[in-house]
Amino acid sequence: MASVAELKEKHAAATASVNSLRERLRQRRQTLLDTDVEKYSKAQGRTAVSFNPTDLVCCRTLQGHSGKVYSLDWTPEKNWIVSASQDGRLIVWNALTSQKTHAIKLHCPWVMTCAFAPNGQSVACGGLDSACSIFNLSSQADRDGNMPVSRVLTGHKGYVSSCQYVPDQETRLITGSGDQTCVLWDVTTGQRISIFGGEFPSGHTADVLSLSINSLNTNMFISGSCDTTVRLWDLRIASRAVRTYHGHEGDINSVKFFPDGQRFGTGSDDGTCRLFDMRTGHQLQVYNREPDRNDNELPIVTSVAFSISGRLLFAGYSNGDCYVWDTLLAEMVLNLGTLQNSHEGRISCLGLSSDGSALCTGSWDKNLKLRGMAWHELL
Amino acid sequence: ARPSSEQQQPVAAEAAATTTTRSVGYVGKHRLSAAIQRLDQELQSLQDELNELETMEPASAACREVITSTEGKPDPLLPITSSPENSSWDRWFQRVRSSRSNKWWQSKGSDFA
Repeated sequence: MASVAELKEKHAAATASVNSLRERLRQRRQTLLDTDVEKYSKAQGRTAVSFNPTDLVCCRTLQGHSGKVYSLDWTPEKNWIVSASQDGRLIVWNALTSQKTHAIKLHCPWVMTCAFAPNGQSVACGGLDSACSIFNLSSQADRDGNMPVSRVLTGHKGYVSSCQYVPDQETRLITGSGDQTCVLWDVTTGQRISIFGGEFPSGHTADVLSLSINSLNTNMFISGSCDTTVRLWDLRIASRAVRTYHGHEGDINSVKFFPDGQRFGTGSDDGTCRLFDMRTGHQLQVYNREPDRNDNELPIVTSVAFSISGRLLFAGYSNGDCYVWDTLLAEMVLNLGTLQNSHEGRISCLGLSSDGSALCTGSWDKNLKLRGMAWHELL
Repeated sequence: ARPSSEQQQPVAAEAAATTTTRSVGYVGKHRLSAAIQRLDQELQSLQDELNELETMEPASAACREVITSTEGKPDPLLPITSSPENSSWDRWFQRVRSSRSNKWWQSKGSDFA
């Protein structure tokens, strides 16, 4: 083997080459950004969506957690929601009646994420225990009211920040972790099927904080990371990321596919949301807040979701704001955080019901809230 | 952001491992070699991407697709129509009969009764 000095020289040369090529790539990409969604939409004569303050009414407040809400997920079919909280519990809600159908006390109270299985019969959660626990909702609780775990997925070397079942596959689930990898699991055996990143060079170089599976092509998923990039993965090819998306200047806390499955939205510590084109890698739009008049620090974006048509981008912020962005005009058309009956703390998570008729937000104020279009008010 | 200190377990079992090349022994050479290999692979990957950009469409093509994909899709949360296209969209505002009593259920903590 070469001497250390020679290796160090080689390392420095390779680093310089990589940096130089990265810069060339950045400049070349810049020349391809001939417009963005806002400019293009305005040139096409589109105007922003117009809301009345009474349109998106708070129709439910789900109270029951005794700690901050960190994560929520809807069932694909029924009107159920699972939420995870700092109080160390998962609660399953019938969102229509506000009733709690299950309250699951977790072995590890430091939970960060939760997800519903496609058939609505199981829930998964993960957190600082570096594992993902699965609960079958038809299990009987024991004398103390504790529900048995039906499976624990162990193997991550860091916290589990995010988890999602592969749509229409009760048996497969993807997790994102502080160990910089994503893992595809077989839930029935508890085995890891594939590891995305880690040993391989095109993996994330910092904690993975969020992931989103493409519902129109369930072989593809994206992960957002503290390394400020999003990476696109093909479930069939774990050895390298399909593409890496640059643009954000801070941790990416939330990623969500656009309804057409060809774009995706992101939310970051840098205070912006962005829209990227999956196939080309182009950054199509930045959603920038107005700077604070008092010159305070920009609130960070904690969570993003699209309305069912994609025309609206919902973004939760650390200061309790919940912006409704017109995706096309890049204009904030409503701030749910300033409406009546809004949360009193950071919005930590949000998600749409499967038919897109209700938005659920979870907050550090310990509550979940549902908003929907108040049709009867419009008549 | 990563989980804050208030979320950390009281007893930190394992700190995150950090790798530093301290020694000039075998371990240091091995790590350097591995790092160089990773950089070479990344170089190849970046070159592939640069080649790809030679024939790539500009952003305007994708922007056009974004607009067309949002149109003509019924969206319950868009203030476009005066009544829901699908009656089930309105279920959040229907009175729900409580399973416990015959009283009409009233939502606590909502804007309507």
